[in-house]
Amino acid sequence: MNMELVRNVPKGGFNFDNCKRNEMLLSSGFQHPKTVKTGTTIAGIIFKDGVILGADTRATEGPIVSDKNCSKIHYLAKNMYCCGAGTAADTEMTTDLIASQLEMHRLNTGRQVPVVAANTLLKQFLFRYQGHISAALVLGGVDKTGSYIYCIHPHGSTDKLPYATMGSGSLAAMSVFESRWKPDMTEEEGKLLVRDAIAAGVFNDLGSGSNIDLCVIRKDSVDYLRNYELANLKGKRHGDYRFKPGTTELVGKEEIIEVVPFEAFHKKLYGDETAEAMEVGA
Amino acid sequence: MHKIQSFPEYQVPGAQHQDFSPYESNGGSIVAIAGEDYVVIAADTRLSSGYTIHTRKQNKLFQLSEKTVLGSTGCWCDTLALTSLVNARMQMYEHLHLKTMSTEAVAQMLSILMYNRRFFPYYVSNVLAGLDSEGKGVVYSYDPIGHCERTTYRAGGSAGTLLQPVLDNQIGGKDRDVKNKPKVPLEKAKEVAKDAFISAAERDIYTGDSVILKVITKDGITEEEVQLRKD
Amino acid sequence: MDFSQDYGIHDNAVSTGTTIMAVEFDGGVVIGADSRTSTGLFVANRVTDKLTRITDKIYCCRSGSAADTQAIADIVAYSLNYHENQTGQDPLVAEAASEFRNYCYNYRDSLLAGIIVAGWDKRNGGQVYSIPLGGMLKRESVTIGGSGSSYIYGYVREAYRPQMNKEDCVAFVVKAVKHAIYHDGSSGGVVRIGIITEDGIERRVFFNTESGNPVEIGN
Repeated sequence: MNMELVRNVPKGGFNFDNCKRNEMLLSSGFQHPKTVKTGTTIAGIIFKDGVILGADTRATEGPIVSDKNCSKIHYLAKNMYCCGAGTAADTEMTTDLIASQLEMHRLNTGRQVPVVAANTLLKQFLFRYQGHISAALVLGGVDKTGSYIYCIHPHGSTDKLPYATMGSGSLAAMSVFESRWKPDMTEEEGKLLVRDAIAAGVFNDLGSGSNIDLCVIRKDSVDYLRNYELANLKGKRHGDYRFKPGTTELVGKEEIIEVVPFEAFHKKLYGDETAEAMEVGA
Repeated sequence: MHKIQSFPEYQVPGAQHQDFSPYESNGGSIVAIAGEDYVVIAADTRLSSGYTIHTRKQNKLFQLSEKTVLGSTGCWCDTLALTSLVNARMQMYEHLHLKTMSTEAVAQMLSILMYNRRFFPYYVSNVLAGLDSEGKGVVYSYDPIGHCERTTYRAGGSAGTLLQPVLDNQIGGKDRDVKNKPKVPLEKAKEVAKDAFISAAERDIYTGDSVILKVITKDGITEEEVQLRKD
Repeated sequence: MDFSQDYGIHDNAVSTGTTIMAVEFDGGVVIGADSRTSTGLFVANRVTDKLTRITDKIYCCRSGSAADTQAIADIVAYSLNYHENQTGQDPLVAEAASEFRNYCYNYRDSLLAGIIVAGWDKRNGGQVYSIPLGGMLKRESVTIGGSGSSYIYGYVREAYRPQMNKEDCVAFVVKAVKHAIYHDGSSGGVVRIGIITEDGIERRVFFNTESGNPVEIGN
């Protein structure tokens, strides 16, 4: 392979090369670029036949909504899912990484992986990075020994609980659980309770919003209910804001504009190399 | 020289130091559009701080006279202090001069009142809308320390940066063929103001719940309310 | 925009602002703790179990950062289990305490952990070891720890008598922790008690209500 093309392939793991430089920039007044935070409401409960996880679908960058329908319930294994709050990239990469480790573990042992194993992997991973990986997780799953909900904080501490909430809307959601959760609820009761908990976050917490996702995990089946409820429909505008052709004023003379077909454009850039030749070969 | 290593400071749970901060941002947005013989001013009704909503029904439009309405957002306690001061000064003016202050005069006074606090400003985003002494619609916009600019349309508040380009394009005719620059009728102005808020509520977490819209003409002031997203 | 008043959910580490306690008696130890875990002003868990198993007959009471103490407890539990498997013998409480001390002392700059190690072994019977913040290790016949402990130093000094029997020790610990919960804002919930003897652990829960029931009837 042409080494010119692959000079910058990174090694595995995190790269800390720019830490010193960034520290210097920061001390001279440079502002950190904002990361996408899922100022979030996530929740999970244990019910009679398994667990139910719930999440809102808003992602924010400061006061701006950056995604109106993002997915915060992540796949870990067939019998385990995990809601993520905090920095979007961190929750996504952390759950992806642990999902692959769990799959490897399953293949090595030939058994369904228990939920504690996922909890241990997640807490040890987060503890190693001392809270710098901002992932606050609600892990839920069912295994041979029962149904479990774990609350995992960014510094690596965990709690095993019958019902849990996290994110900026956790107080709103917890108030619903504290008043209405009881042991051995039916699936319908449970779904309604989690819906109401997430809705409390969606309407009362500005960091949470848009729709409600649910995920029901039973002993041998899973229902991933993406957009279980569209709690907020997009506002309908009354005017028509499509632009008529020619709306934008043409600056300068018309003859400088030249329509170039793609093939000719490509030839201008890369010479006689054809498009196929650009593909990286074996 | 040997540098003495300082003993590490162990963090102890319990009381934590908190700096005093005199300002708070309570969110909210304003849009004002002036026409030949009218002016439209609109503001959303969500009052919040941090990630919590204080109320979903806060009117942020202050009717100062038959011809002048002030929209004010930012630090809500400063808004209240400033508007009550403006009201008091307008009453004093009325008693002294035996007439209501004109929109231009209110605009100038507001600028002076705000600059008076140059080194401990009112943390507010103000947009003043009214009919001038010739009966034409006019909009004045301010920065927190009293800079005043007379325009024909303006967006302010938390979603000001989102709304302004929409107005520039739809009302100001910017980035469009200048030959087709639209003359904005009242209905169009109202529609753009409402639609702009509907879109701003999609992306700004501090704008939502509902929008109150006031129309000032020579016949008086009318008001209407449109619902927005509640999340 | 600043979200500093965001209930401290996001920036603050989860810490067990805690009351923990352990007393030796003839034939074993009684350990006790409240059940509150808080992040800033928010109670993250009101039914926490801070009495953490290391081996069947050695337990630790955790205070300080939840992440730090859980991590150390997991490591020590793993290592003692390994030794148990290799030697076929139950580890000594002193060995467990020493291992805790090594981690707490060597990593004292990056940890926030105040731990009480307590348990029973064949050689020395019931023992209590205290490892406070800097990583010191000391055996004591009675010890208290966590933010709530400052409120009960006087009570413990006054009410502790050497040679108390098991049930007296339990009553003493429950009363002390209840007092600490009453005064300390970051301690709360129920009082969890563990009694470790030659036969393993016996666990008890004491509810913080006037009647002692989980829920006051008529409320």
